[in-house]
Amino acid sequence: MQIEGSPAVQFTERFKPWQRVGLTILGCCGTTLLATPLLGHLDLANIVMLFLLTVLLIAISLGRSAAVLAAVLSVLLFDIFFVPPRFSLAVENLQYLVTFAVMLVTGLIAGQLAASLKQKAREAQIREQRTRGLYEVARQLAGALTVEQVIDTARQFIHDQLNAEGVVLLPDDPSPGAAGGPEKAACRTEAHLVKVVLNSGQFVRVDELPGSGDASLYLPLRASMRVRGVLAVAFPDNPQELAPENQAYLEALASLIAIAVERLHYVEVAHASQLDTVSERLRSSILSALSHDLRTPLTALVGLADSLFLIKPGLPPAGLETAQALHEQAARLASLVGNLLDMARLNAGNVTLRREWQPLEEVIGASINLLGNALASHPVRVALPADLPLLEFDAVLLERVFCNLLENAAKYSPDGAKIEIAARPLGNLVEISVCDHGTGFPGGSKDKLFAMFVRGEAESARPGTGLGLAICRAIVEAHGGTIMAENRDEGGACVRFTLPMGAPPVLEEEGA
Amino acid sequence: MTTPAPNVLLIEDEKQIRRFVRVAIEEEGCQVTEAETMAQGLIEAGLRKPDLLILDLGLPDGNGIDLIRDLRGWSDVPVLILSARSQENEKIAALDAGADDYLTKPFAVGELRARVRALLRRRARSGETASPVIEFGDVAVDLSRRLVFRAGAEVHLTPIEYRLLSTLLGHPGKVLTQRNLLREIWGPSYVESSHYLRVYVGHLRQKLEVDPTQPKHFLTETGVGYRFQP
Repeated sequence: MQIEGSPAVQFTERFKPWQRVGLTILGCCGTTLLATPLLGHLDLANIVMLFLLTVLLIAISLGRSAAVLAAVLSVLLFDIFFVPPRFSLAVENLQYLVTFAVMLVTGLIAGQLAASLKQKAREAQIREQRTRGLYEVARQLAGALTVEQVIDTARQFIHDQLNAEGVVLLPDDPSPGAAGGPEKAACRTEAHLVKVVLNSGQFVRVDELPGSGDASLYLPLRASMRVRGVLAVAFPDNPQELAPENQAYLEALASLIAIAVERLHYVEVAHASQLDTVSERLRSSILSALSHDLRTPLTALVGLADSLFLIKPGLPPAGLETAQALHEQAARLASLVGNLLDMARLNAGNVTLRREWQPLEEVIGASINLLGNALASHPVRVALPADLPLLEFDAVLLERVFCNLLENAAKYSPDGAKIEIAARPLGNLVEISVCDHGTGFPGGSKDKLFAMFVRGEAESARPGTGLGLAICRAIVEAHGGTIMAENRDEGGACVRFTLPMGAPPVLEEEGA
Repeated sequence: MTTPAPNVLLIEDEKQIRRFVRVAIEEEGCQVTEAETMAQGLIEAGLRKPDLLILDLGLPDGNGIDLIRDLRGWSDVPVLILSARSQENEKIAALDAGADDYLTKPFAVGELRARVRALLRRRARSGETASPVIEFGDVAVDLSRRLVFRAGAEVHLTPIEYRLLSTLLGHPGKVLTQRNLLREIWGPSYVESSHYLRVYVGHLRQKLEVDPTQPKHFLTETGVGYRFQP
């Protein structure tokens, strides 16, 4: 353990064992020399006190073994130099044996106490040192702006505090350096072990030879959501360093790193979503400006064409015919522009759905009502199961789906032919179908019909842009459903789409 | 015709749109005053006391919704909104602020004339003493006795169904927003629970419409609210 700047530790460590023995002997002999001239003036009991003081001081400054040595030595010196007969181990008065025993025991106990006190103080100091180190690294990690900074801080910390080499491995992080490339890595790691730690979330200790440069301890970086990486540590050639307190220390470090990495991850996520929001807002403001700029002249065009019929005196028949054509073309253009804008909005990325729980029949009724005259010659039969639950969808968008499908059905079936709308539960989906009794879709791939600008008949006399079904598909898919087209055996076309059923909210009973 | 021609104030910044709207409304026998901006519109509304106000929501000098709020402080003139299709939220805000109806651009002249007629008729009728019995289709509602008959037979409605019915009947032709209806009938804490409203409108249609899937009187204004069509 190399901890610098700690005076108490330095003091103990400064002396080698033989130096400590020498100092102890020196101390005891010094006390003997000091006490000898006082022999005539002091009671022997007080001279015992001087020796006890010496033992205590030695215990404090030189540790436990020195204290034991000092206690024994003091008793011997006291016996030889002070207890009559002097200069012999023999004792005149046997009660001095009690004095020796008490002196030895007192010396040993005092020495033990002092030494263990000092040991505790030293441990406390190391603990404090480490806590301060952890505080410091926590502060640095909290201020880290990049994953590289986190990795560097961790490596520096392990190097300074534990004199070991550490490496942080973040398999999910694509940024350079996060993987701890071989040229940068401070120690070699075993890819297999890293994977084990990542998957299990438990630390792994390997009995590598210390000092070989191979990592011997792998700690998971466990964050609140999941294990984000691995901290691998290689210790230098001192096997003691795998002590339990070091492991706890590294675990604390690992969780600090994990928090920092996770924080950076979420900063990135938040940043990305903010960018998304900004570009989304930009897109939608461009679209709505475009939509306003296109719709204003279209509104005028449609309205002005209409108002030609109101001119007085009335237009000649040829003029009226032109007015009628103008009106029809303007209306077609308006619906084309409307479709294009809808498609642009749906394609512009995340469509924000205003989902609400509602009965399906309502939006069907609204669509039929909206189409009005276009359906005048096509009776629509709606057959929904009575127990169909509420569904969650964006009514405005689903109304577009039904309008487009009904319009298509009316356009491609003879006057008077029925249009049928039906629904049935299909597992956790509801399948809705709009079928007609017309000519059906022309042969070939039905899937292509839902692509943009594709029309069943390439050069059809009927007006259309090939956007209607593409819009339907975009809307249905935004709701988490699928859409498909088919021809019925008995003739006529069918478009079926699904919507998820979900769990509708409970309606409180009336009066409750 | 002894009554003076109704006065219509048209606030719209686009000249060509003003032109055909004017032609269409004059055809209905109305006098038209035009205003290009919100400020001018507000002054004209104060000066001329129009019988109908047609307002474009996208005015250059401010939000048409604020104009409606100002106007509702001192006038109950019917307001018809012109707005683009993608502006559901604006339509709702305008209707909540006190507008009566809306038209989505581009609109047909025939539709415009029909709406203008309906609004003017409602205004003319508001002076008459209202009859306690309202009839539509084969349904008769006696508001004084709280009874509902269909083809002569009494129909039982729950208290909430009746409250919803009488609220809708109270504003014939007017678009009532979901929030408005939910607050009125269920209370302020229910304004986000639109499924209540939808389910109960469904009940009314079941009991009072000939074909509940293709209603003729209780109409849905998708994404906005409901309208009772007598």
